[in-house]
Amino acid sequence: MDLSLNVNGRPEQFSAQPNELLVERLRDGLGLTGTKVGCDTGQCGTCVVRLDGRSVKSCLILTAAAAGSAVTTIEGVTTPGGELTGLQEALREEHGTQCGFCTPGMVMALGELVENTEHREPPTEPEIREWLTGNLCRCTGYHSVVRGVQRACSAARAQVPVEQGTAQPATAAASGQEG
Amino acid sequence: MTAVTGETPLQAPIQGNGLLGQPLDSREDPQLLRGEATYVGDIDLPGTAHMAILGSPVAHAKVLSIDTKAAEQLPGVLKVATAADFTDVMPLPCIWIPGGVESHFPPHPYGLPGSRPVLSGDTVRHVGDPVAVVVAETPRQAAAALAAISVEYEPLPVVTRADEALAEGAPQLHEAVPGNLNAYWTCGDKDRTDAAIAAAEVTVELDLVNQRTINSPIEPRGAVGDYNTATGEYTLYASTQGPHNHRFLLSALVLGIPFNKLRVVAPTVGGSFGTKGYLYPDMPLVLLLSKALGRPVKWVDTRTGLMNSTVQGRDHRQHVTLAGTRDGRITAVRCTSYANLGAYPSTIGPGVATALMGRSISGMYDIDAAFCEVYAAFTNTVSLGAQRGSGRAEAAFLMERLVDRYASEIGMDPAAVRRRNLVPKEKFPYDNGLGWTYDSGDYQLNFDRAIELSGYADMPARKTEARTRGKRLGVGIASYVAICGVGPSTRMSKEGMLGGTWESANIRVHPTGEVTVTVGSASTGQSHGTVFAQVAADELGIDPATVNVYEGDTLKAPYGQGTYGSRSYSMAAPAIALTARKIKSKLVKAGAVFLGVPEDKVVYADGKVFEEGHEDDPEKSKTFAELAMAMWYGWGLPPEIEPALDETTHFDPPDFNYPFGTHVAVVEIDELTGETEVVAYTAVDDAGNIGNPKIVLGQIEGSILHGLGQALMEHAEYDPDGRLVSRDLNHYALPRAIDAPFFTLDKTTTPSPHNPLGAKGAGEIATVPPAAAVVNAVVDALSDLGVQHIDMPVTPEKVWRRLRGESQ
Ligand code: FES
Ligand code: FES
Repeated sequence: MDLSLNVNGRPEQFSAQPNELLVERLRDGLGLTGTKVGCDTGQCGTCVVRLDGRSVKSCLILTAAAAGSAVTTIEGVTTPGGELTGLQEALREEHGTQCGFCTPGMVMALGELVENTEHREPPTEPEIREWLTGNLCRCTGYHSVVRGVQRACSAARAQVPVEQGTAQPATAAASGQEG
Repeated sequence: MTAVTGETPLQAPIQGNGLLGQPLDSREDPQLLRGEATYVGDIDLPGTAHMAILGSPVAHAKVLSIDTKAAEQLPGVLKVATAADFTDVMPLPCIWIPGGVESHFPPHPYGLPGSRPVLSGDTVRHVGDPVAVVVAETPRQAAAALAAISVEYEPLPVVTRADEALAEGAPQLHEAVPGNLNAYWTCGDKDRTDAAIAAAEVTVELDLVNQRTINSPIEPRGAVGDYNTATGEYTLYASTQGPHNHRFLLSALVLGIPFNKLRVVAPTVGGSFGTKGYLYPDMPLVLLLSKALGRPVKWVDTRTGLMNSTVQGRDHRQHVTLAGTRDGRITAVRCTSYANLGAYPSTIGPGVATALMGRSISGMYDIDAAFCEVYAAFTNTVSLGAQRGSGRAEAAFLMERLVDRYASEIGMDPAAVRRRNLVPKEKFPYDNGLGWTYDSGDYQLNFDRAIELSGYADMPARKTEARTRGKRLGVGIASYVAICGVGPSTRMSKEGMLGGTWESANIRVHPTGEVTVTVGSASTGQSHGTVFAQVAADELGIDPATVNVYEGDTLKAPYGQGTYGSRSYSMAAPAIALTARKIKSKLVKAGAVFLGVPEDKVVYADGKVFEEGHEDDPEKSKTFAELAMAMWYGWGLPPEIEPALDETTHFDPPDFNYPFGTHVAVVEIDELTGETEVVAYTAVDDAGNIGNPKIVLGQIEGSILHGLGQALMEHAEYDPDGRLVSRDLNHYALPRAIDAPFFTLDKTTTPSPHNPLGAKGAGEIATVPPAAAVVNAVVDALSDLGVQHIDMPVTPEKVWRRLRGESQ
């Protein structure tokens, strides 16, 4: 069947078997090998991409089901050899990666968390760990990743203008206590 | 979950002003974070065909017939092959044969014992045992064609436990191995130990199951074979941690081709933890099929495939005994172990199950009499191999369980018993009576630090407080010594290792003053590029940014044995430091010529050569870059000094090194659900001088979680028919981010005298004690119920049953 996707801002047209998985289209069809395959069962999270902004496991989605959507892969997050995003930079500073096989999937999954916390209280450590449960890492023990997310969230919030920052419910509650 | 703040004191510089000891950022990370690194699955050579492997669905059977005709007719299929197509290919050798080189297998053509064939012909011996391969245009076509191959099996009886495999009348796996016994191996002094146990005031015994686990690197294995018809050369790209070693074993011992006709390239490797140092059938198969088809052949495993083919770990059943006095002095330890080697001896599996475990059982303690015997047996399971902390973790588990059992028997505090028996500082080098001689250590200092940092003294109060929340709090200590730095080649030959275990490095100084370091090891995620540049730059006194590092390609790197057993920093890095010293001494000689002063007046320091006392005089000093250019030109050098700067060192240490440490786990058990939560974890490790504490910190954190995984959830479980129940990540639990709080970490530093950096192994050592620490903590929490032991993994169900008074 003939399908189309918008991948990293570029329209792509192709014909695919009905049972083709999105991860196969990305890796084999489009040569975007930053997205990894680590399991056969949707458990490891190495294949996470953003589908219309939401992080999803691309090994669990048929290409046909994603048709017409906007897909962002790790290749769409930075330019080759280019500057790292705030999250990537924070993960670099905390050495949140070792063999790196789980890393693209983590960056894609955590990107959603970090972006969504720009305008509210930073996630707590348990929240970060909860968010990470869909991504397996055998090297790091996750602690450096968690520290990286904490760092990235503080940095992201630091960039939000003060007026917006003070409008947050949690911050308001804190000032309430002061009052 | 109570989160202890993530202390990271390991990140502090430890060696003063030098580059070593500095937590430099990993230079590998940006590429990994952008998803730009090339793993074997990402390699896409022009014209690549794809291979799929048909594994046996039954654990033990005679293969009566294989019909491949239907598969051959399917679209895209290029070739279907069975064992009959590879009769001239030799079996995959086993190169670690405990107790010597005699083998129970028919002699290998090169005098080495054979083990598994590239494809099984007459008999299959475990689920997943490969019987046929398909090569097709696409991976999907290759996978689809597997279903069209029909194989007729005549089932044979199955055995999956080592002790049962050795019993009278057990199913036989190999004709050449009567009774399934690969090796009976011992170490220590049996008579002395038996006598000490017989005479002891107190003895305690335990029956332990160190369950089989699956290492599960997140990247499954893969291989690409590329035969060049014009040159007759083969190239193998593989997820390997030992490219040179694989080159040697594959060329000379399996394919029977000249060594110099095979190139092995390890691209970025997505974790290994021991499993990717082994020879697997897929490696020769992609090479042979590439030659047969005249195109590159690629194979990438699935997760289920990995679980049924990649070596598994641990798997001992043990009866262990400890003897001591009423007042807490340990006098003897004895272990009888049944080790499950799986269906075939993997490349070094038998050594892991014997020497690595047995010689380590006495741990940190000064014990007069010790003895270990291992029956290593074949069963209808996946082959056994290394697993992060291999052998040493199994040893620490039994000893640390025994110490707690003993402490409870004599009514002493487990910390006090341990402290009383630690090898005292003045006894180093210490011969442990089991075959290892510990190089250096200050065990008391390390132990006390861990106990203090964990807040051990506050545990009674914390237990009382936890009870008010319906939780039982338990605390468990585990200390360990881990042999690392494999190793002294001659010493390893006495362990039955058929091969050298030295390591090498080359340093080439370019005319413009930049430096390239090449090493024989190969990273599987340990930031070698960062750390090895740091070592060279530290020694040469130059900016690490001017140093790059290559490894992992046998065409470009000097020989080496690879990355395993936490050896790279204490084996390859010393080779680099020694090579840098050769460069420096050559520069001192050349400097004497260039500066026109006698050699004994020439000093090399901070990346400069100068006349003694004239460091800042530009007339009497030359920078590293100036010297590099001068050596490239080679003008004015006397005949005894060769131009250019290009040196190599092969480092074979005088002995191993022995990192050690003490970990303390605090768990809370939910009275209602039986769930065990690790609420605090303290680890104080001693890995000698550390090169890059940021890198080591990451490895320690990962290692601890891996160890907690074995304690709490991991289990490679086979059903009675020999089918792996835990065949994928839905059925095999790996620790996730929610499974542990931040760890409290610290270190002590006892340099090893066995290498010029004072380094000890670090990467996996922290996997050694966590299982024992956690099980000790769980038993502590349940001790008032009369619980003396609980088998791993400590699942909620097991604990829940114990809470209700059921026995194991
Ligand atoms: S490959 Fe998609 S979750 Fe593992
Ligand atoms: S860094 Fe290796 S699996 Fe996460």
